[in-house]
Amino acid sequence: MDNKNNNIILSIQDVEKSFPGVKALDQVSIEIERGEVHGLVGENGAGKSTLMKILSGVLKKDAGTIIFDGAVVHHTSPVESQRMGMSIIYQELNLVHTMSVGENVFLGRFKEMGGMRGTHTKAKTLLDSIGANLDTYQLVDELSVSEKQMVEIAKALSFESKLIIMDEPSSSLTQDEMDKLIAVIKQLKEKGITIIYISHKLDEIFELCNRVTIMRDGHVIDTQLTTDITRNEMIAKMVGRTIENEFPERPKCDGEVLLEVKSLNTHKLKNVSFELRKGEILGFVGLVGAGRTEIVRAIFGADQVKGHEILIDGKVVKIKNPKDAMNAGLALVTEDRKQQGLVLSFTVEKNVSMASLDRLSKFGILNKSKEKDMAQRQVKGLNVKTPTILTKVSSLSGGNQQKVVLGGWLETGPRVLILDEPTRGIDVGAKYEIYLLMKEIAESGGAIILISSELPEVLNMSNRVLTVYEGRITGEFDPLKTTPDHIMRNALGMGEEEQNNDQAN
Amino acid sequence: MDKMNVKKILSVITNQRAVLAIVITLIVVAFNNNNFFTIYNMKTMLTTSSIYLIIGFGATIVLVAGGVDLSIGFNMSVSGVLAVYLMNNNVPISLAVLCALIFGGIVGAINGYIVVYQKTEPFIITLGMGISLLGLGRLITNARPIVAENKAFLNISNGMIFGERLNLIYFTIIMFAVVHYILRYTSFGRNLYAIGGDYEVAEYSGINVRANKFYAFVLSGVIAALGGVLLASKFGTGNANYGLTTGFVIYSAVVVGGTSFAGGIGSVPRSAIGLIFVYGVLQNAMNMLRVNSYTQMVMTGIIIATVIALDSYSRKRIREKV
Repeated sequence: MDNKNNNIILSIQDVEKSFPGVKALDQVSIEIERGEVHGLVGENGAGKSTLMKILSGVLKKDAGTIIFDGAVVHHTSPVESQRMGMSIIYQELNLVHTMSVGENVFLGRFKEMGGMRGTHTKAKTLLDSIGANLDTYQLVDELSVSEKQMVEIAKALSFESKLIIMDEPSSSLTQDEMDKLIAVIKQLKEKGITIIYISHKLDEIFELCNRVTIMRDGHVIDTQLTTDITRNEMIAKMVGRTIENEFPERPKCDGEVLLEVKSLNTHKLKNVSFELRKGEILGFVGLVGAGRTEIVRAIFGADQVKGHEILIDGKVVKIKNPKDAMNAGLALVTEDRKQQGLVLSFTVEKNVSMASLDRLSKFGILNKSKEKDMAQRQVKGLNVKTPTILTKVSSLSGGNQQKVVLGGWLETGPRVLILDEPTRGIDVGAKYEIYLLMKEIAESGGAIILISSELPEVLNMSNRVLTVYEGRITGEFDPLKTTPDHIMRNALGMGEEEQNNDQAN
Repeated sequence: MDKMNVKKILSVITNQRAVLAIVITLIVVAFNNNNFFTIYNMKTMLTTSSIYLIIGFGATIVLVAGGVDLSIGFNMSVSGVLAVYLMNNNVPISLAVLCALIFGGIVGAINGYIVVYQKTEPFIITLGMGISLLGLGRLITNARPIVAENKAFLNISNGMIFGERLNLIYFTIIMFAVVHYILRYTSFGRNLYAIGGDYEVAEYSGINVRANKFYAFVLSGVIAALGGVLLASKFGTGNANYGLTTGFVIYSAVVVGGTSFAGGIGSVPRSAIGLIFVYGVLQNAMNMLRVNSYTQMVMTGIIIATVIALDSYSRKRIREKV
């Protein structure tokens, strides 16, 4: 008995939490074993984040007990939980961007570290220990997302954390960076550190975790060894119903050319040209920073570009700003919906109508009843889960927020819909609905450009795939006739090598 | 259950802070002074605050769009000076007033151009503009009040309509309606909310962010000049020193009313309540209670800070809910 207790580093017993009108956690009990990587999955709104906030001391639980490392936890602040040996790495990393790497690791503890020099030396040691080769004097602002994560992990280690909770650490990492993170997690595990790993990406759960807990609607549905559960069973438990396929059938496309982009050049892009046909979903594969986002921003007039040519239906169109792009029939759903897709202080209604205000007004005066109809049409059509159209978007889940963004763009009647990471941070059920919507748009005569870091998504949804590497298009593939490996190699800039080898042979 | 209700009441209180502040002030005064709740005093209160209400509506336009225009106080005084100066040099009243309004619009346009198209910090730019305007006003007047020779000019603010001298209140009601309509029922107004709420999102949604924000500054400038003309007409003088603290106090009052300093949130009715509290109820109450005028300044500052601190408390609670 004693032995068993000693094996449990964190015991969550019957924890409850209510918000006005919602029971966010209902009798949640989970036991985390010492030294394991424990996966936590569930759709958005399942209660994962609330549970983590209670663990970190940001929120107070209404009932239940939490025992960490043999002691009952009463803490009320993140600092206390950190001192106890529990660290959380949030999706939105908590680093001071204007300070250096070293300063961030030991923020508020410079004196204890023996001043700035000690701080930097010790930070370097910690970073080296997880194989992150970073200059501790560099500003955090200049780091990539994955490097910032390394800084967060070093920071957690600096508190001698026994438990590190990672909240969707992979959502903005490329495959390459993800591999590094996996390596680091394995190292941490070897050091005897316990990890709770929250993710929407089930592949990672299977690869990394010993056990997995599935949550839905504030309840723990099941805890299983990852070897004892299949992917489909896990999805079924997450959504409470069985999903036959993760992806719908891709649209049939045999239309004529709708959009033609010729020789796009910026300081980052080199001679990018491609065509998009009616009814087509065209996928862009590449690392974060390879230039995928820059390509679509340039097409959309969000960045200043010169010397290129854009043709729609064979006619040249001038696009100098997003407004021109919209008039030409383009719509861009940006990568970061909270920063570039939604006005969070606005209601659902106002966000939906935002890109259509010109059409909704006469002599500058808004037609409120038309606006209301528009919002209701999209909320109904896209199955947005919101109490009313007058609810603020900030209170909706990620999937529903994304639907609001899409709804707004659909109302502009776009012919080319550009989707940059449309399903990031969205749960399985909502993803499927968005895939269906993409298919519908393509089949009704539109066309879609799809950018995604999730390779299965691009390969299963696209009719054609272009690989982007260092600002160039390095290949064009039919995903049905090519292996994912081959496409990935081109996205990593290794396709040319291969061709050379082929020629040599 | 009880706890829930208490929380609910608490959040209503903090959300309606300006109304609450007015109620508390009224209760305090009611116990100490019998003259407060007279129709005469109510009229006085509205009349004294009217000009600041009007200018505050203009300030709300800029604030909602995520900007700030601290030059409005100086714009007000200089526009008033300009109107009086022109009239005293034989320019007809209507033309002089028109010139003052155009002048205010130009000031707003310069502010807007520098802030929006040169992408600079509005706080500093408009403060600099304000200082220049103060200097300009003193240059025109030799730093002395100039008296309007044409007494007809005084009728704009003090004229008799329907047997009452309530022109300033009528002006306030008209401007309330106009600005409220612009913000609430036009696409221009909605664009401003989007720009203040999230500049990038607004731009990607095809809104002409620069032009819209620019016009917000122009409007605010014209409205400040209108306030200046009304003020000059009310006293029959143009005085460059009128607006020294006006810009700051107006913006504080607008924020007290519930318009966010960060932009994107707010409305004319909310601003009106904040402005009535600071310029009407609070000042009038302190006069009634015979508070020394310097003590009044101290108190005004403290009360504004307290009310805004309450707001930050309520928003912290909202954040915790998420």
